[in-house]
Amino acid sequence: MITTFLYSKKNITITIGFLILSLLPCLIYAALQEASIRVLVCGDGVCSSNENCSICPADCGICPPAGGGGAYVPPAPQTIVNFSGRAYPKSIVTLLKDAQITATTIAGSDANFQISLSGLSAGNYIFSVYSEDKNGNRSSLLTFPVSVTAGVTTNVIGIFIAPTIDVDKSEVKRGDNIAIFGQSVPAGEITIVVNSEEEFFVKTKADKDGIYLYNFDTSPLEMGEHFTKSKTAFGNEISSFSKAVSFIVGTKNVAKATPTKCPAKADLNNDCWVNLVDFSIAAYWYKRVNPPTAIDLNSDGKVDLVDFSIMAYYWTG
Amino acid sequence: MVKFPKHKQTILHFALSFCILIFAFFITNTAHAAKLFFEPSTAELGISNEFEVTLLLDTENEEINALEGKVIFPGDLLELKEIRDGNSIINFWVERPIVGLNNQIIFSGIIPGGYLGQKGLIFSVIFQSKNEGKGIIEIYEAKAFFNDGKGTQAKTEISNLQFLISKDVSGFEFETLKDTEPPEDFKPQVARDSTVFDGRWFLVFATQDKGMGIDHYEILEESQRGSLQRLFQKEKWQVGESPYLLKDQKLKSYIYVKAIDKAGNERIATIPPHNPLKWYENYENWIMVIIGIITIFVIFLVLWVRNSKIKYQKSK
Repeated sequence: MITTFLYSKKNITITIGFLILSLLPCLIYAALQEASIRVLVCGDGVCSSNENCSICPADCGICPPAGGGGAYVPPAPQTIVNFSGRAYPKSIVTLLKDAQITATTIAGSDANFQISLSGLSAGNYIFSVYSEDKNGNRSSLLTFPVSVTAGVTTNVIGIFIAPTIDVDKSEVKRGDNIAIFGQSVPAGEITIVVNSEEEFFVKTKADKDGIYLYNFDTSPLEMGEHFTKSKTAFGNEISSFSKAVSFIVGTKNVAKATPTKCPAKADLNNDCWVNLVDFSIAAYWYKRVNPPTAIDLNSDGKVDLVDFSIMAYYWTG
Repeated sequence: MVKFPKHKQTILHFALSFCILIFAFFITNTAHAAKLFFEPSTAELGISNEFEVTLLLDTENEEINALEGKVIFPGDLLELKEIRDGNSIINFWVERPIVGLNNQIIFSGIIPGGYLGQKGLIFSVIFQSKNEGKGIIEIYEAKAFFNDGKGTQAKTEISNLQFLISKDVSGFEFETLKDTEPPEDFKPQVARDSTVFDGRWFLVFATQDKGMGIDHYEILEESQRGSLQRLFQKEKWQVGESPYLLKDQKLKSYIYVKAIDKAGNERIATIPPHNPLKWYENYENWIMVIIGIITIFVIFLVLWVRNSKIKYQKSK
């Protein structure tokens, strides 16, 4: 009976309508998915579209000599990992190898960067990158595992560092505007999400320096704490989401204090870095009684893995 | 064709939509769990067989940045030969996996920035089968945390390993891992914090080994650098863990940290002294001065004797 019901023309239309409505969350979910980083391996026997004889003779064969005689002696294979992607124009890009800083570089005015690492042992690595915008605001950490093979060049391409984000007010009077701003790639399309009971999505475009600004009208927001984050689309690539920044919708406007370079949490020794020193301080207090309040990051009276998880999020290396 | 009354049609539409919504909810929300599982998932072994069990993490499309748990094995059936944490996705161990009481392997660690993947290696264990029987290697008290800055706990699914040991199962050769690579290069740091070791100077260090894993660290503090001291005194490397309380609180010593992997390969990192010895505090400098004075004295003596001889011969 249900089958007969479904096959009637009118009901098919209604059902498709309901289906679309029902699948809307899935479509939104799919739209929020992030572009993935591609890992190309020179030495895997496949000459992919991004490889040629000059950058990967192991897969694409040796380039024919331009002229003259003499036998070509290929150089001994090296273990190299090349990283390339987008950050912010002229920003400092930091590369972490297994959570410790291993290299830094400065992105070009087009926000593109490239880093090469050599002399690595074969094995599995967790690499992370982050960048700092013009105001010294750090991006979230973008992490990706890479398997390195001895004597093989691995190209990690398509890294797209999330935009930075900040707001001009820590509290905004309901109905007033709050400025949401940050930096990404030049001319990148920025999607800003404001989390409330209902999520609000707005779009703006970054200027030639990658800077974006959006004055968000807080009229539709409920009173209380809200979070905002952003991501960038550029060409076919989409970045991951930025860190979430909080603000309160209340009864008055309170300007936000000047942003500092220091991480908001987990910098236990107050040196504006969250790294092995902070981890060691927390490790000293792990499962000990009466830890200092500064080390108990979630204020539950003990230092346990929850505190380490919070620290791992704010990690700078 | 059966024509339904309007109210029934509406009910059917809602029922269908509800089912689809539940389905959509299911496919989008089952991903909010972390799976801890073993590879292989089952095993059939002969007696005295060595075999490797790997503990893996599937983050189910979410970023996980911390995890902990216990692995428990039946000690009457299995003997633990070795734990390998080389190539682990865990960058820093809060509790490095070691076997404790009641055949428990306790572990906890973090992955700064989070890990997203389907087969993240946590560690592996080499067992040897002892007696015939059926058994389970179990995961207990597993916890995983999202990389969200709040320490939100993820739902955790576990999958235990069932095994059978029988003399009827033919044995197999266990392939020993050849590890000739030393641990990764690393940079220890000297730090001080009012909350740790009563504000005294301590040393922090950590590195990875891509082979069998780090076995232990050793630390040496030497106020005098050079081989002379080693002639008189044997180097006293101390086994230690980070954070390590420094003996020389004046920071006048060279600090050496040796990372040794489970195959015995070593990597030494050196920190020069923060407050190097003044030239007169270094006895090697005094030895050089004394050697210099003796050399000058000997030359002077030789010349004096030679001149005296010439004068004596001339006077003759």
